[in-house]
Amino acid sequence: MTGGLYELSGVRRVFRQGDRLVEALAGIDLSVAQGEFLALEGASGSGKTTLLQLLGGLDQPSAGRIAYDGHDLGGLGDGELTELRLRSFGYVFQQFNLIPTLTALENVQAALAPHGVSDADLRRRSEKLLDEVGLAERASHLPSQLSGGEQQRVAIARALVGEPKVVLADEPTGNLDTATGGEIIELLSRLAAERLATVVVATHDAELAKRAPRRVAMRDGVIVAE
Amino acid sequence: MFYLDYLRGELLRRRARTILALLGLAVGVAVVIAIAALSRGLSQAQKSALDPLGSIGTDLTVTLQPQTGGGFAGLGAGRELLSANQSALTDLSKLGKAGDHFVHDFFLPGTQLTFPSTQAGQAATLSGVAAAAPGLTLIAVHQEGTVPKIVAQFQTGGDLFRVNRLLPRMSAAQLAKIRACFAKQLGGLAQPGAKPGRPSGSGSCFPARQRFRATFRTPKQTLKQVLSPPQTNIKSSTYAIGGVDQTQPQLALVTPDQVQKGAYLGRSGGLEALVGTAYARRQKLKVGSTLDLNGTRFKVVGLVTPPLGGQSADVYLPLARLQKLAGQAGLANVVLVRATGSAEVAKVQRELEQQLQGAQVASAKDVADSITGSLVDASNLSDTLGTALAIVVAVAAFLMAALLALSSVAKRTRELGTLRALGWSKRLVVRQIVGESLVQGVLGGLVGVLLGVIATQLFDAFAPTLTASSTVGSGQDALGVAARTVSAGVALKAPLDVSLLLLGFGLALVGGLLAGAAGALRAARLRPADALRAVE
Repeated sequence: MTGGLYELSGVRRVFRQGDRLVEALAGIDLSVAQGEFLALEGASGSGKTTLLQLLGGLDQPSAGRIAYDGHDLGGLGDGELTELRLRSFGYVFQQFNLIPTLTALENVQAALAPHGVSDADLRRRSEKLLDEVGLAERASHLPSQLSGGEQQRVAIARALVGEPKVVLADEPTGNLDTATGGEIIELLSRLAAERLATVVVATHDAELAKRAPRRVAMRDGVIVAE
Repeated sequence: MFYLDYLRGELLRRRARTILALLGLAVGVAVVIAIAALSRGLSQAQKSALDPLGSIGTDLTVTLQPQTGGGFAGLGAGRELLSANQSALTDLSKLGKAGDHFVHDFFLPGTQLTFPSTQAGQAATLSGVAAAAPGLTLIAVHQEGTVPKIVAQFQTGGDLFRVNRLLPRMSAAQLAKIRACFAKQLGGLAQPGAKPGRPSGSGSCFPARQRFRATFRTPKQTLKQVLSPPQTNIKSSTYAIGGVDQTQPQLALVTPDQVQKGAYLGRSGGLEALVGTAYARRQKLKVGSTLDLNGTRFKVVGLVTPPLGGQSADVYLPLARLQKLAGQAGLANVVLVRATGSAEVAKVQRELEQQLQGAQVASAKDVADSITGSLVDASNLSDTLGTALAIVVAVAAFLMAALLALSSVAKRTRELGTLRALGWSKRLVVRQIVGESLVQGVLGGLVGVLLGVIATQLFDAFAPTLTASSTVGSGQDALGVAARTVSAGVALKAPLDVSLLLLGFGLALVGGLLAGAAGALRAARLRPADALRAVE
């Protein structure tokens, strides 16, 4: 144990596209400490989304080792990965990925419901997070009735409601204008810091990346600069 | 409860898709219910009209028909029937003088031979036979009009004929002999003391065959000729009349169950009659009306819907009364047999056929098979086409529900991937999708049951009438009686009951579950990362 929350060594991820093999990750060595705010920088296709999915237990490496909190994610079954995603990781997506038939409040509840908390707790904790992202009055609105910035705030509330140790955000500002994007990053880093949560943000926006204490640049599936 | 909120949101906020899936299931359920109710209605109608004997406790009917040949029902018997059936024509002359007005009912045996009614008792002694009762079904010809002159009488004969014959030339020897004869006679005359000869005495000299005159007389005889049937003003109508053993009402040509109005025949066999409803309508007869049959006045005590089949009739009288009216004292032409159990029917049928040579033993099924008409057609149709249609519609409804579920899951791929990313287990995702389908199944089932009830109510409101027909007599024109057809109209209903509605509802539930399973299976196979990559 080197003390890092994540320890990645020689991580490769190969996809089959027709009869062609595409190497999305070509050997990644990376260590992320508890409570860090890390920006993964790179053009689209550089492999940052794939790396984020591996970190979040949504996918497993073709080769190499990803240790999270001492456990090799590559060796875990679907049930254990599901449990980790529920209790330890929180996601924020570029497209927001809110459930279109659920209200803002219900979208937040969707991430907490599988924890098995009581209905009252579910409601109270979800409302509290919506309040923290400034959308208490929009609780009963459907995603289609919210602006992009508001939708991403709901997504941040949803990512944080389960008290995760790690928040993984994939281009969280990609669909927002610069000002709104700035607010979103501000909000995310503030709420994560309050919870001592580790944050990994993937972005192609160098301006945004500059705000992160630690920047890792990627190209063609490898880390090119740190 | 969050999962229920989610379910409700999913169904209410994707209204168009929900309504489509729901209606698909509902229409499938309604069609299945309507067709099942209809085919049940048909089989009920069939039971009331087509199961002529089973419903009245008779398993077998025994009749003697001449064309079967062999035994005592040979060709001679056929001729007897023919002459009996023709008596309606010749006996008109006995109704009064030519020119008199008359009303008369002739009772004709039709195509069934009669036998002593005591034979029913013999049949009852066979093992496997619970009871047997005699019956007499006759074809009644009701005639009304003026007595025609039917029989013409001619006298012939008594004429005297004289014949002159051409004589052949005589031979020389004969001439010489004649000459000698003449000479002898002439010589005698010339002798004195001779008696004066007869002037024609010379004729005796000719040989007998040469005598030239002969006479003969034709014999006298009287010829009678039956003229062709009178076509004057006589109105003739035919109906069927049955003699009922009223002491065994449960095993008779008509039973108390079939009384629609009024009462059954009394046990004592008085001057009472039962009339079929259709015939009563035609003849404007009611309970309490009087039926005059050749001067005997019968009181109509009840209206009945007779079962269709070979032995159905329009008018029923106590057996002894009909026997007397028809001059068939002590005779019956059908024996109704009830077996001790349904398992015995086939055995008893074989036994009876062996015991009574030439007898026709018909089971209830045989009789039902002989019945034709739109009811039978509709029933056959529902048996084949109806079932096929119900299956096709049900399968189509299920397929549609499953496809909708699959397409909705396909459209929600990213949503389901997001749920997986949020930490939803496969089980939870599957549960949610199956739950949605199940609720759709329940709602679709309810709407379908409602539609089915409305459809059957509408059907009942218009209740089309189907007819069933059966032929009385076997249509042997050679026996002097054309086959008669007895028809019964049955209003077709589509009866519903809880089990049918439950069936329809259950189908919708199964459909919903299948659809959910199809969708959920696909959802469960998705890898979260792949699902998230899907384009909405």
